Amino acid sequence: MATIELSRIAHTYEPDSDEPVYALKELNLVWNDGGTYALLGPSGCGKTTMLNIISGLIRPSRGNVLFDGVDFTDLPTSKRNIAQVFQFPVIYTLMTVEENLEFPLVCRRMPKKERSRRVREVAELLNLRDKLKRPARKLAPDDKQMISLGRGLVRNDVSALLMDEPLTVIDPQLKFEIRRKLKQINEHYGLTMVYVTHDQNEAMTFADTIVVMNDGEVIQAGTPQELYNRPETTYVGYFIGSPAMNLIDSRYVDGRLETAGGSLPVPEGVSIPPDVQTLQVGIRPKYVRFTDATTPETLSGQVNMVQELGNSRVVTVEINGEKIRMKLSPDTTIPEREVRLSLPEEHICLYADGVLLCRDEDNVCLSVPHQPGSEAEPMG
Amino acid sequence: MKTIYLALKYLAILLWTSFVALPFLWALTTSFKTANGVTGGATYIPWLQYKPSLEGWKVLVRTGGQGIDIVGPYISSAIVTLSASFLSLALGTLAAYGLSRFSYRLGFLKNSDITFFFISQRIMPPIVLAIPFFLMLQFLGLLDTIPGLILVYIALLLPIATWVMVDFFNNIPRQVDEMAMIDGCNPIGAFVRVILPNSLPGIAVAGLFCIIFGWNDFFFAFTLTFTKTQLLPVAVVALNSSVTPWWSLSASALVSVAPLVIIAFFVERFLSSGKMAGAIR
Repeated sequence: MATIELSRIAHTYEPDSDEPVYALKELNLVWNDGGTYALLGPSGCGKTTMLNIISGLIRPSRGNVLFDGVDFTDLPTSKRNIAQVFQFPVIYTLMTVEENLEFPLVCRRMPKKERSRRVREVAELLNLRDKLKRPARKLAPDDKQMISLGRGLVRNDVSALLMDEPLTVIDPQLKFEIRRKLKQINEHYGLTMVYVTHDQNEAMTFADTIVVMNDGEVIQAGTPQELYNRPETTYVGYFIGSPAMNLIDSRYVDGRLETAGGSLPVPEGVSIPPDVQTLQVGIRPKYVRFTDATTPETLSGQVNMVQELGNSRVVTVEINGEKIRMKLSPDTTIPEREVRLSLPEEHICLYADGVLLCRDEDNVCLSVPHQPGSEAEPMG
Repeated sequence: MKTIYLALKYLAILLWTSFVALPFLWALTTSFKTANGVTGGATYIPWLQYKPSLEGWKVLVRTGGQGIDIVGPYISSAIVTLSASFLSLALGTLAAYGLSRFSYRLGFLKNSDITFFFISQRIMPPIVLAIPFFLMLQFLGLLDTIPGLILVYIALLLPIATWVMVDFFNNIPRQVDEMAMIDGCNPIGAFVRVILPNSLPGIAVAGLFCIIFGWNDFFFAFTLTFTKTQLLPVAVVALNSSVTPWWSLSASALVSVAPLVIIAFFVERFLSSGKMAGAIR
């Protein structure tokens, strides 16, 4: 068990280039002991690079990796107490399931008796008990991935389990089951878990803390609720939640926010800086409501499209060219054409040049204007 | 239409088989003939067309000062081929693993250039190498000795072993090594415990190539030896005196091909057993 800290880490795969492209731009992150984290971001945003830096498969171009405050940057992978599961299962083809699970313990010269006890325990947990004697290469992909996971779990010295999109090869039904099992393991062993994914649902259901990355930078780290309700940047608002957050262009005129089809009051506790280029009103589709009132706070528009999603319906309303999406319960009656929408003030997030303008009570907000990587972002 | 296609297919197979197999049949029948049997046109059926004799086979083993002894060259050839192949495989496999998994820089030279350097050793015609090798062995005092030949053969076989193994290692996903290191092996442990056992098919292929090239080489065995050391190909060719003893020449040719046939048979069995499926996914 350990707290893992990435201090001023940056990495490029082309160190000899004159203008190297950084896969990971300078950042600071702390992974608290026993936490469950999801690294969320599009493909190629540096998630895997970050995992490989923690496990030591990659030596970062700059910065230090600290385990409980001790610098591990130059320690080889085999000496770090990290277990990692890759996107596709890696098994030792010539060994049986049992030998596969045993392998990390053999490498650590654990006595045979202790070895088989632990292997049996883990096999029980992962439903591999009756497959122990079979050649590992003959198993189905999901069982192979369980072996990969099991090799991490048999060790008693593991301080963190890193998973790089581990459920790609697994059926949707089983995914749910395995995620639940991982949660159990986290609670049972107190293992820090870092889970890389580009699927927000996976991230939301698995992790206490979600770290959103884009283009080699950490955009926001917070609980699923924080990321959902108060995205720090328009990118997070767009990336998290389905459908994405509505972003409505607006102008600050006479103390109010002029938008297409109406004008909104400035949310309480928000002050608008004078030199803003673009100002956007953000609101989650589920908070947008139909209304009969015709006050200036309501926006008028036309229903453009209705999508049935079974447990909900998504209505797109067009307001002077702007499209606003609403997520409604399936039994909501939808007015024929002309509608007025109310955007509750407490759910409005205001973005100046893509960055959230903080309210006084916002604890997600950074104290300085958002500059990724410029300061430590403690999580959890 | 289909019958014509089938007929043509079998005809092609038959033609090629004859082309490959008939020389062996010819050598086989000839090896049981005597001086009388080989004169007066080709004959194939024993007892009917010629009187079979073991004369050709008997002279291969020298008994009481009689015959031409190919046992000695046979053993020398085996020692040289096996030692050179083993050392080439060992060095080549290590080199190939390094070239496949680590990045090297030597000025502007990168891994691919180093790999090409290995292969380029085989681009030159052997005759170009004959004089340098001769001078080097002379300098070392290893001309006409088995260790000298082993050294030269390693120079010839190492590129083949390295080349085959680089390709093979490149096809083993890096994640397997990485996983082994995460599981607690150091890089050498990952290689020995995980990669090497998985590489046996590649090693078998590389080894087969080494043994075939080493065993069959005539040129260097001929130019770098005089009287003390004689390898099998040279010994077989040396049978060719003023009167060519076709019968013992055929017998010795068959005997020298036999080990390769046996090895190839087992390696082929081993390769087709499909031990490699499913290392990842």
